[in-house]
Amino acid sequence: MTPELLSGGLLLAGLLAAMLRAATPILLAALGGLVSDLAGSVNVALEGLMLVAAFFGVIVSAHAGMWFPQLAPAWYPWLGCLAGLLAALTLTGVLAVCHLEWGADLIVAGIAVNILAAGLTVFLLASLVGDKGSTAALNSPVLPSLHWPVTADRPWLNVLLNGAYGQGHHVLLYVALLGAPLLALFLKYTRYGIWLRAVGENREAAFNAGIPVRQVQYAALLLSGVLAGLGGIYLSMGYLSLFQADMTAGRGFLALAAIFLGARSVAGTFCAAMLFGASTVLATQLGAQQIPTQLVYMVPPLVTLLALVASGARRRAKARSS
Amino acid sequence: MSESTAQALIAQQQRRQILQQRWRLPLVILASLAVGFAMTAMVSEEPLQAFLTLLTGALPRLQWSPEEGWRLLRMVRFGAVIEDAVTLTFLGLAVALPFRARQFSLGADGQMFLAALAAAAVSLYVPGPAFVVLPLVFVAACATGFAWGALPGVLKTRYQANEIVTTLMLNLIAIQFYRLLVSGCMRDPGAGFLVTPLLPDRLILPLLLDKTNVTVMLLLAPLVVGLAWLLLMRTTWGYEIRLVGQAPAFARQAGVPVERAMWLSMACGGFFAAFAGVHVSNALLKRLPVDLTPGLGYEGLLVALLARNEPRAIPFAAFMYAYLRTGAQAMERTTDVSREVVLVIQALMILLVVSERLLPRLAEAWRSLVQRGAR
Repeated sequence: MTPELLSGGLLLAGLLAAMLRAATPILLAALGGLVSDLAGSVNVALEGLMLVAAFFGVIVSAHAGMWFPQLAPAWYPWLGCLAGLLAALTLTGVLAVCHLEWGADLIVAGIAVNILAAGLTVFLLASLVGDKGSTAALNSPVLPSLHWPVTADRPWLNVLLNGAYGQGHHVLLYVALLGAPLLALFLKYTRYGIWLRAVGENREAAFNAGIPVRQVQYAALLLSGVLAGLGGIYLSMGYLSLFQADMTAGRGFLALAAIFLGARSVAGTFCAAMLFGASTVLATQLGAQQIPTQLVYMVPPLVTLLALVASGARRRAKARSS
Repeated sequence: MSESTAQALIAQQQRRQILQQRWRLPLVILASLAVGFAMTAMVSEEPLQAFLTLLTGALPRLQWSPEEGWRLLRMVRFGAVIEDAVTLTFLGLAVALPFRARQFSLGADGQMFLAALAAAAVSLYVPGPAFVVLPLVFVAACATGFAWGALPGVLKTRYQANEIVTTLMLNLIAIQFYRLLVSGCMRDPGAGFLVTPLLPDRLILPLLLDKTNVTVMLLLAPLVVGLAWLLLMRTTWGYEIRLVGQAPAFARQAGVPVERAMWLSMACGGFFAAFAGVHVSNALLKRLPVDLTPGLGYEGLLVALLARNEPRAIPFAAFMYAYLRTGAQAMERTTDVSREVVLVIQALMILLVVSERLLPRLAEAWRSLVQRGAR
């Protein structure tokens, strides 16, 4: 291999790894949103769910040593992960009960849940940590990364599998990568997956066919809460090792965009999430150049808009030709 | 069915409706405040003091001193309530109009930023007497808001792009564009920080209350609210917007131009957000700083949801929210409770308001409990 090709390959592998890292939270949340969307309930609260999971994950894992002194420190982040998931589940439960039992409009209630999450996390942050910006004062652990042994004669593979600094990829990154095909199989081949899609297609028909519609709706919303929660935990216990106010920064909404962009299919959603990850990487790469930062920050939203327009135009063309 | 049971059923239905209409909002507000108090009590060492500040901190204080007689203190703070209420009224309208057509446009933020930018640009660069330029300021801002609001509408009607996503993306772009211009070609080179030059004095809206920034915008707000109400309730366009929101399938069947109603509702939202932009640039700040905080649009969303998208209720919701927010700032300064508790209270209010079946259910459970007790 020539040196140019080698360095080019290294660069490409590094960019790919960076894209995977940036796309993971969006992918996890998008898979969650896809599940509830296929069951006929658009979950716009993904952003808020990510936020509470990220927050409670950090708080509990940072305090785990104090609360459970007999526990080995290796378990602290996992305890935090569990707490974050429980928090996201609780909030999804509130949303589900408001919508399914008390007839609240799902989108409006979802927006309210986002506001609730933004307020609650900062409120608790100020009360528990004494700092409104972040939990930098706490020493919170992160979930482990998986490191693959790669022989030294393939540096690009090493960079791809273990990141540019050889630190390995986060365990939740693999969860997201495995989760996508598993979810596709679940939706396509298992009975519950078929029930879920049936409820989303036609609620009354599903009900008449003997499917427990209400339970399926609850299950779909709660599953979306779990997946969005994992996305949030990845942000605060992997991507960064602390919680920041509003650290999701619109990723929950990008996840929604990924679902629409991917035409409500698992493969499409996966690709869209990767595209958003790539646009983030592109923005950071451009940030190193002599370009006003404001223009750089415009790149990810512009990519999203253009992608939505392109997919809409393609759908229109298809509808016209058929 | 005998007549008496029918009448009993009707009576029950009426009881329910009365319960819904009359008791709902007070109960919702009380319940949300109670949760807010519980949260305050959990984290604070002086919860009563903190909550009292939250509820009364925004009020001016009457004070008597032998030298000066009766004086109103803290007018600056109460002025802030009115200033916020005016901004939030416009932003509430900006959200409410699209929501009436069931278009979940969250773009008020970006529309306001660009409208403020347009207003400042016209104020700075167009020469002429105030009675010519000031209307131009409004026209430029409103046209900008209208166009930026129409954009997600067109994206939706032409490309089926979900409006929640597109408006959020357009917000990000608008805010970055604003920062680009303010820190670039509109920057005041003499100022020590990134800010536009001061707008000319003749284009600053006339003041109504001393020591505050309450301007004639306060008088304009009811007119704009009236305009929104007229548009929605007394014009064909408004009728189409409402119909598309309530029964889109029926509207389509009936030959209503659904697409036009969709983008028009969003564009009108931008139009009303523009007034908030002018209020920010030509009344409150008098120049535009680069770090104008994004996020006001979401508070407009809160206001619209609390008012259930009814234009005439929006000023009241805006006032209540501005009042609580200013109280919360006072609370944060003087006690150990942070102001975000208000966000939680507001979110709970929205959740409880939209949970339409909650109150009848509770009432029924209560009644059956009472009946069982009587037996």
